[in-house]
Amino acid sequence: MSDGSSAGPLIQVENITRVFHVGGEEVRALRGVSFGINRGEWVAIIGQSGSGKSTMMNVLGCLDTPTSGRYMLNGKDVSRMSDDELAVIRNVEIGFIFQTFQLLPRETALANVELPLVYRGMPARERRERARAALDKVQLTPRIHHKPNELSGGQRQRVAIARALVSEPSMLLADEPTGNLDSATGEEIVRLFEQLHQAGHTLVLVTHEPKLAARCPRAIRLSDGQIVADGVGRDVALGTAPVVLAAGGA
Amino acid sequence: MSLPPGFRVDVLEGARIAVFSLKANRLRTVLTTLGIGIGVATLLAIVGIIQGLNTSFHRQLAGFGANTLYVSKFPWMMKGDWWVYRNRKNFTMEQVDRLRSLAPFLSAMSPYVQRVSDVAHGGEQMSTVRITGVRQEYLSIAGYEVTGGRFITDADDEVTRPVAVVGADVADALFPGISPVGRTIRIDNRSFQVVGTLSRKGKIVSESLDLVVFIPFKTFYSSFGKGRGFEIALAVEDAAQVKRAEDQLIGILRRIRSTPPDAADDFSINKPEAMAQTYEQLTGALYGVAVGVGLITLLVGGIGIMNIMLVSVRERTREIGVRRALGARKRTIVFQFLMEASSVSAVGGLLGTTVGLGTAKIVSLITPLAADVQPGTVIGGVGFAALVGLLFGIWPAARAANLDPVEALRYE
Repeated sequence: MSDGSSAGPLIQVENITRVFHVGGEEVRALRGVSFGINRGEWVAIIGQSGSGKSTMMNVLGCLDTPTSGRYMLNGKDVSRMSDDELAVIRNVEIGFIFQTFQLLPRETALANVELPLVYRGMPARERRERARAALDKVQLTPRIHHKPNELSGGQRQRVAIARALVSEPSMLLADEPTGNLDSATGEEIVRLFEQLHQAGHTLVLVTHEPKLAARCPRAIRLSDGQIVADGVGRDVALGTAPVVLAAGGA
Repeated sequence: MSLPPGFRVDVLEGARIAVFSLKANRLRTVLTTLGIGIGVATLLAIVGIIQGLNTSFHRQLAGFGANTLYVSKFPWMMKGDWWVYRNRKNFTMEQVDRLRSLAPFLSAMSPYVQRVSDVAHGGEQMSTVRITGVRQEYLSIAGYEVTGGRFITDADDEVTRPVAVVGADVADALFPGISPVGRTIRIDNRSFQVVGTLSRKGKIVSESLDLVVFIPFKTFYSSFGKGRGFEIALAVEDAAQVKRAEDQLIGILRRIRSTPPDAADDFSINKPEAMAQTYEQLTGALYGVAVGVGLITLLVGGIGIMNIMLVSVRERTREIGVRRALGARKRTIVFQFLMEASSVSAVGGLLGTTVGLGTAKIVSLITPLAADVQPGTVIGGVGFAALVGLLFGIWPAARAANLDPVEALRYE
């Protein structure tokens, strides 16, 4: 990335709320969340189901917009953007990694990885080159012409990671990335994350697993739509980190 | 990003996905295609046959000559009470002579009278032959060519010679392989010497213009009864003068027939062109109905497309979610599904065009109807089918694009 907006945190979330209306009832999934994430950080967002972490992930990923509050991503206020503008932000700034991989089943690994570049309007030759390079980074070069159903779970997640990396986004946003993998394969993926972290990538990982959060340098715990802890990953995961107030800044 | 993110991506990616998805669901594609295909085929076959009818009708009509007029008691296209026309006074030879002197703008003119009879030569006989009594100038008005011998002359008429000129059908049937000129035919037990033969003119609607025998006008009357009314065939130099000639003729005819000023015309001026108009009104209605039927079939096909597209959108909800998450705009998704819908339809259109044209061709081979399909019809068929797909794809495509990405990604 060669953008000049390196001053200040990459992500700045200020007093975000998200209210859903379900069958006439108000569900307040996020109730005033504020934090910041700097470039190169590896942060886990942890919480039980219903804690608001999925909503947080959708807001961070620009798949959803907050009801109130401000979300600055890479120097841009994305909390009030139009649908089309958000599509561009997702394409340029965010690399998604999903629990269920979310690969297109009928396309090859290579075509799957090329996809974000297609939407950027990049010429075919260039995007193929970049996709190959990204697949190489996750050690999948021999399998680039395989379709997802010809790949193991771990390999599929590597394809998904390559797809997230290929667009050189500001942050990688992973949602329970090891949730559908056995522990050995999950461990491989976590090691890959460690390498990516060391290479300078910003990683945000949403999970309910304390073990996984404990591996991250920093973790934020959500409960009932509010931040209840923010600190070193191991401490937050084990519950020994200091409890912060919901209104507290980063 | 030097390229403006936009149209090119939408179109290229849309087309790629469309082809991909059609190939992946071959059976479904074929079945959906059939709906549109049948619609287009129906439409094209009908249009082809009607166009063929029109072309051949006009070609036949052109043989009559656009510069001709036929004056008669009866209009060709009768409206109202037949008796009104029946009771009009017959034309007289005196009127014919006066018309000649009062209407110098006419380039040719001949009274004519007709009946249908049997014609025989030796052991051969032909029934329902149109026997027409004419004068010399009739030839140039009717547009036949003399292929052997000569036509009826005014001299024949003066002295009521029992001579005849035979049409191509009569010549072929009664004189297979030999020239009829100089031989004798019998019409209702009267003998006529054949003095000429005529070129083939073909059919108009279903009546052959070659199943004819021409004899001198006066000979007709002396042979086949008096009291029969006759009509007058007229020609002007140029087709452009027909309208003016018609207006002048009305005045002249009223004068020579002494029509009271307050009375309606007691004659009809018939034009082949007017026949064409009536014919077109007739086929126009048929055309409308046929096209309507084709359109309804297409509508059913279009609903089939819409149905299958809705299924496709549902099946690919997650794919849509993924694409949206990776940066596809709503517009891009709309395009993807519109391309898919219109390419299924276009394929159907192509199929339908082939079948429709084939049908029209077969019809023209096994029936007297001549199907005629203009090249524009083919392009129109495919294009129109694609348009139908596009229209019926709009709603499913809009549904796909308006899916909430979060919900779509979670869809099982």
